[in-house]
Amino acid sequence: MTDSFASSLERALASLIVQTLKLKVEPATIDPTQALFGDGLGLDSIDALELSLAISQTYGYQLKSSDPEIKAIFSSLRALSNAIEKNRTK
Amino acid sequence: MHDAPLIGPYNPDEVLAWETDGPRTARQFLSDVSRLADFLPDRPAVLNLLSSRYEFLVGFAAAMLRRQLTLLPQSRAPQTLRRIAGDYHESYCLTDQDEPVEGIESAVQRRHGSIAGWPRRIPHIPLNQVAAIAFTSGSTGQPMPNRKTWGALTAVARATGARLGLKTGERTAVVATVPHQHMFGLEASVMLPIMHGFVMHAGRPLFPADIRDALAEVAGKRILVTTPLHLRACVTEGVCVPPVGLILSATAPLSRSLAQEAERHFQTEVHEIFGFAEAGSVAERRTIDGDRWRPLDTVRLVQDRTVWVVHADYLPVPVRVPDRITVDADGRFVVHGREVDQINIAGHRVSLGDLNQKLLEIEGVQDGVFFLPDEGADLVTRLIACVVAPGKTVEEIQQALRRRIDPVFLPRPLLLVPRLPRNDTGKLPREALLKLAEQHVKGLSHEA
Repeated sequence: MTDSFASSLERALASLIVQTLKLKVEPATIDPTQALFGDGLGLDSIDALELSLAISQTYGYQLKSSDPEIKAIFSSLRALSNAIEKNRTK
Repeated sequence: MHDAPLIGPYNPDEVLAWETDGPRTARQFLSDVSRLADFLPDRPAVLNLLSSRYEFLVGFAAAMLRRQLTLLPQSRAPQTLRRIAGDYHESYCLTDQDEPVEGIESAVQRRHGSIAGWPRRIPHIPLNQVAAIAFTSGSTGQPMPNRKTWGALTAVARATGARLGLKTGERTAVVATVPHQHMFGLEASVMLPIMHGFVMHAGRPLFPADIRDALAEVAGKRILVTTPLHLRACVTEGVCVPPVGLILSATAPLSRSLAQEAERHFQTEVHEIFGFAEAGSVAERRTIDGDRWRPLDTVRLVQDRTVWVVHADYLPVPVRVPDRITVDADGRFVVHGREVDQINIAGHRVSLGDLNQKLLEIEGVQDGVFFLPDEGADLVTRLIACVVAPGKTVEEIQQALRRRIDPVFLPRPLLLVPRLPRNDTGKLPREALLKLAEQHVKGLSHEA
C-alpha cells in the first residue's frame, strides 16, 4: 500500500498511535503533517498520556509538558517522529 | 455561623500556592483577589477557564466577593461553552491571555501588581451563597446545572480532611493532575488545601515526568490528587518520585491490583474518593482494604423505593446516587457501576441504567445488564441483555420487559447466563460482556 511516510519510523509510529489509541483508521491513511490533536486526528490529553507511555516503552523517550518544544513536538506525526529520532534511547 | 473565611489559617507570609515562577504567599493571594474583584465587570456569572490552578482560585475568590456565580463546564467544547453562556444571561469568561473563546465576551486576567497590606479581616463568604455551578450532561443533551454553596464546598473540604487525618496548618502541599474546573478537582485540589492552610501547586502535570517534577517543587507532606490513569502511567513508566505522604484518586474506579502497585511504587497509602457532580465527594476508601466505601461525616445513604439518595448536612436537598449500590447495615456501601449511560437507538434516547433497573425489577431476575454492541452491518444496532434468572425462560422475561420499556429497546438477543462477568470493583467491562454475548450466540446457533 502506498502512504506518505518519509521514514520507517514514521510508519512504525503511525501503527503505534493507531494501536495504542484503538483508533478506527488505517495507519497508512494518516497524513504525517496533519495535526494529531484538536481538528486533525482529534486526540485529547488522555490520548497524549497513553501515547507518551507507549513512546517511552518503545523508544525510551520520556515526554515532558515543561519542554518548551512540547507543542511543536505534538503538532504532527512527522514532528513527533523527528523528536523521537533525536531523543530515543532504544 | 452564617459565613466562613475565604481561606484557612495562613500567616501572611506563608506560601499558599506554588506557581511556575515560584511561590505565592497568602498576602499576595489576598492582594490579587482584591485587585481582580475591583476589575471584574458587573455581571451575574463567569465561566472561569483559567488554566493555572492559582489564577483559577484568584478568579473564583474574586467572583465570590462580587457575588458572581462561577460556572464550571463539564467540557471545553466551544459549543458547550456557548450553550452555558447563553443560558446565563450576561455571563462572561475569564481566560488565559492567549485563549479567548469565540462568541463569549472575555475578561483577561491581569498580571500581578504590587502587594497590598494584610487586611484587618480575611474576607468571609456567606455559607448559603451559591459559589459555583458544576454542569453535568443531562438526558436531554442540555448541560444540567448543579448548585454548590460556599457552605457545601467548605464542609466537604473539612470532612475529607478529617477522614484522611490531615492536620490544619501542618506543612503539606497538594499536587494535582485533575482539572480544577471539575467537581473532584475543585474539592480535592483547591478547596482541600486552602481550607487547611496547605500549599496548592498551581500546575496540572500530565506525563509521569511532569508529575515527578511538580512533586519535587513542593516541600513538606506531599499529597497527590490524581486518577487511575495517571497512577497507571507512573507505575508503568517506573518514574522516580520524591516521597509522597498520601495519594487521593477519583474519577474512575481504581482496581485493587493497581492500588497495590501504586502503594508499593509511591511508598504511601492510596485512598479513593467516591462522588459525582450532583453531590460532590460522598465517601472514601483505602482501595487495598476492600471495595466498601465509608461515607464522609454527616453523609447518609437512604433508600427511596428503587433508588438510593444521599443526605448530608450541607446538601439543601437529598441527591440521587447515579450508580447501582448496595448498602450494609453499618452504612458502608459497594458500587456496582454507573447507571447514567445514555444511548440512542433510532432516535429514541434512554439511560441504560433505567433499562437495567427495570430488568432487575422483574421477579426472578437476580442480575442483569443491557449493553449496546459495536455497530455492525445492520441499519440499526440493537441492545443485547445478559440476564441471570434461574428457573425463568427468555420468553417470560421478554414479556415482562415488553410491559416496562419501549419496544425499540427490547434486547435482541436476550441471553440467559449463569452469572455476569463482574470485575473486582463490581463493574462490568464492556469487552467481557461482548465476549460473553459472542459465546452464547455461537452456543445457541450450534444447538439450532
